[in-house]
Amino acid sequence: MPRQGIRDRVAIIGVGYLKFGESWEKNAEDLLIEAVYNAYNDAGIKEPQEEIDAGWVGIQYYFTGLSGSTLADYIKLYGKPMTRVENFCASGMDAFRNAANSVAAGTADIALACGVEKLMDEGGSGLPGFREFGHPVLPLPSAPAMFSMAATRSFHKWGWTKEDIGRVAVKNHANGVHHPMAHFRKAVDLETVLSAPMISDPLGRFDCCAMSDGAAALILTTPEIAESYAHAGDYVLVKANAIAVETMTPWYKPSYTFTEFNSTVKAAELAYKEAKITNPKKEISFAEVHDCFTITELIDCQDLQFSDPGKAAEDLKNERFNADGEQPVNISGGLKCFGHPIGATGCRMLVEITKQLQGRADGLQVKDPELGLAHNLGGAFTVAAVTILGKKE
Amino acid sequence: MKKMDSIGIVRYGAYMPKYLLDRKKIAEAWDFPSIPGGISVSNSDEDTITMAVEAGLDCLGELNPSGVDGLYFATTTPPYTEKQNATVIANALDLRNDIITMDITDSTRGSSIAVARAYETIQSGNANLILVIAADTQKPMPESMFEYQYGDGAAALLIGNKDVVLSILGYASTADNVIGPWKRATDEYIRQFEGKHEGLYGYSRNMLAAFKALFKKLEIDPSTVRKAALYATDPRMASSIGKKIGFKSKAIEGVPFLEFGNTGNAFALMTFMLAIKRARTDDLIAFGNYGDGADAILFKVLDKTALLELRKFSHGIVGYKNTMIPLKSYPAYIAKKKLLTTDRYTRKASPVRSWRDEKFLYRLYGMKCKNCGIVQYPIQRACFECGAKDNNEEIKMQRTGKIFTYTLDHLVGGVYYDTPTPRCVIDLDGGGRILCDMTDVENPEEVVHIGMDVELCFRFMHPGANFNNYYWKCKPIRFPNITEEDEE
Repeated sequence: MPRQGIRDRVAIIGVGYLKFGESWEKNAEDLLIEAVYNAYNDAGIKEPQEEIDAGWVGIQYYFTGLSGSTLADYIKLYGKPMTRVENFCASGMDAFRNAANSVAAGTADIALACGVEKLMDEGGSGLPGFREFGHPVLPLPSAPAMFSMAATRSFHKWGWTKEDIGRVAVKNHANGVHHPMAHFRKAVDLETVLSAPMISDPLGRFDCCAMSDGAAALILTTPEIAESYAHAGDYVLVKANAIAVETMTPWYKPSYTFTEFNSTVKAAELAYKEAKITNPKKEISFAEVHDCFTITELIDCQDLQFSDPGKAAEDLKNERFNADGEQPVNISGGLKCFGHPIGATGCRMLVEITKQLQGRADGLQVKDPELGLAHNLGGAFTVAAVTILGKKE
Repeated sequence: MKKMDSIGIVRYGAYMPKYLLDRKKIAEAWDFPSIPGGISVSNSDEDTITMAVEAGLDCLGELNPSGVDGLYFATTTPPYTEKQNATVIANALDLRNDIITMDITDSTRGSSIAVARAYETIQSGNANLILVIAADTQKPMPESMFEYQYGDGAAALLIGNKDVVLSILGYASTADNVIGPWKRATDEYIRQFEGKHEGLYGYSRNMLAAFKALFKKLEIDPSTVRKAALYATDPRMASSIGKKIGFKSKAIEGVPFLEFGNTGNAFALMTFMLAIKRARTDDLIAFGNYGDGADAILFKVLDKTALLELRKFSHGIVGYKNTMIPLKSYPAYIAKKKLLTTDRYTRKASPVRSWRDEKFLYRLYGMKCKNCGIVQYPIQRACFECGAKDNNEEIKMQRTGKIFTYTLDHLVGGVYYDTPTPRCVIDLDGGGRILCDMTDVENPEEVVHIGMDVELCFRFMHPGANFNNYYWKCKPIRFPNITEEDEE
């Protein structure tokens, strides 16, 4: 562990995003500039050229944009440090990590963290293939295939069923109905989920999250500087931020269980240590976790220590993770309904957590939250990011 | 009984694809008059290279491949027309690099040419053990009678000068610019002139001349031959030419044309393998092959017991036949033979990367960490489990294992094709874990499960970079406990 972390040293003073979905009439430029200017307006940034010292943008796919110039060009903020961050589905939260670290280190007084993805521009359903990535011959399964392998093994180990994972979709759809920015806003019942066509057995269509375009942005600064901005009274503090990277080819690792995501386990351990959290079940008021697939959310809840090993399905069934449950998970609708523009997702989750903590959620509001957690998981369970935010003290 | 100075067959092996198309399906599809039997059909991820690898593995069995000094590959349907196919096969079979390899193409007589050349190479003292493999997968023109004619298959003989079971007594050849089947470099499908002419002036004339020369040279009376395996596109042709040569009619082995169709270069060798099934010590076995001329080779069985022993190692033609399953429809045949052109997902590939990774991609080596002892795949610089850097020994992975987890993928590479495709994480026997797509599987929903036994097979993966990218897939165990003997 580092000697000095970033706990309580970085404040979120403005957030911005826009409705996720199939934005056929918008370019990545439109999405990103709107999200960033929404964040400027929220923070009270009047002169970005003067006030913003550095920016990081999370982007996964090359067709959305390469290099920091994607950010600089879209928002016309030149002559400053700008970097594209790519770390699979944790790209957005890694952009946030870089911005937060820069503020904590004092290399930027005010930093911009944002993410964008324009998935619809690639054409076709499902995530764009890894045609140009990885080994040219060794098999590389699609995202649903990767997570299905974890589902198969989890069913085997814990006796979970299609119904157990299907309940994740039912819950997240029920939440998404209420969120005006979500891609899908329609409730579904378990029967609909179970009768959907198979994508990668045992995962059917309703076990997979939405494919969406979107962008989200956050303005970060020190608590001292935050006092002179719009949210001086209710800015949000970063309690912890951690990323852990494991292998991209877990299928070659003889000891790997396929029933936990080691990257999440590690990132959570690091984050809880930094935030001085000893009982996540009690201390984390609510969470946005990476539900790229329904099975992912169940395993996430165990890896994040919200459930005991093997008990996530039971906890979900007992409504622990419902919007009005003991520990709401994905009250926004999750990736399942909110949508999952890869590079944007991490920042979008942090926008949600921030607004929840400030009591101004756009969708369902968590009652009196103290600490909120956002979690991303990317690749073949490869990269996990965990960020914990709390209210201004 | 073994003569140390004799050269001949040490082992044999074969590979027949899993699928058999009843000729009735072709008749129904095109409203043709029906003929009985079926044709063997390779899967869409198979070609003559992959089938040759299977036949080679079947032939070598547990023998150390590093003892093999050469590989001669006979085919009329090579995946590469520039680039030596034999070398690709040799790689996948994990043969050494200081060996003699060649492709013998363009005539169905290639398999006997390969046997004769192997014999001579060993005779010259330049090699002790040469693997001869023949494979063909002819692509017939749809809605033509050629569809009845061609099957897919591969056969292999290991020719050597030690542990010889059938020794080669001699051979004779003819070359003739026959008007038989042909395919120009620009032709997609095989062509043929009216068959009667070839029967009279191509086939009969050359087979007769080759055997006449052989028996004269060896001063042997053809009627003393116990079994004669003669290439023929029609069982009646073999019988009629056999009698003309002077073989007893019961000596003439039937060609498996009705069962599988004509498997090209593999066909004569398959017939030969059927012919030696019940051979006894000192029996003479004649082998005749045809294609722009003819080859006649005479073998002598050195040891009946040793010959029977070989069945333990090879599944043989009969063994394979009993594990084939009927192809459900004519469209399934069209798809497996890639007779329809469709857009397919292609991965970006780098042939040079495959070249660098040959040891684990083709030869299927992994490594054992010298620090923690964990066996793993593929070969990497640092250990997957303990991180020890450059402290491992490369070891060959076993080709069998059990499924640890899997998915049945309905959307492979963005297209619904031959789905669901099982994608399996396999714990290999002897250690190491690998991810393989499953092929040659029906009803995966019913058969695939955690703990399922699978075996690896070498298959075509994708045409990225306009290159044939091959790798290992897994399949249900083809011979759970069946041997050729059990099936008789």
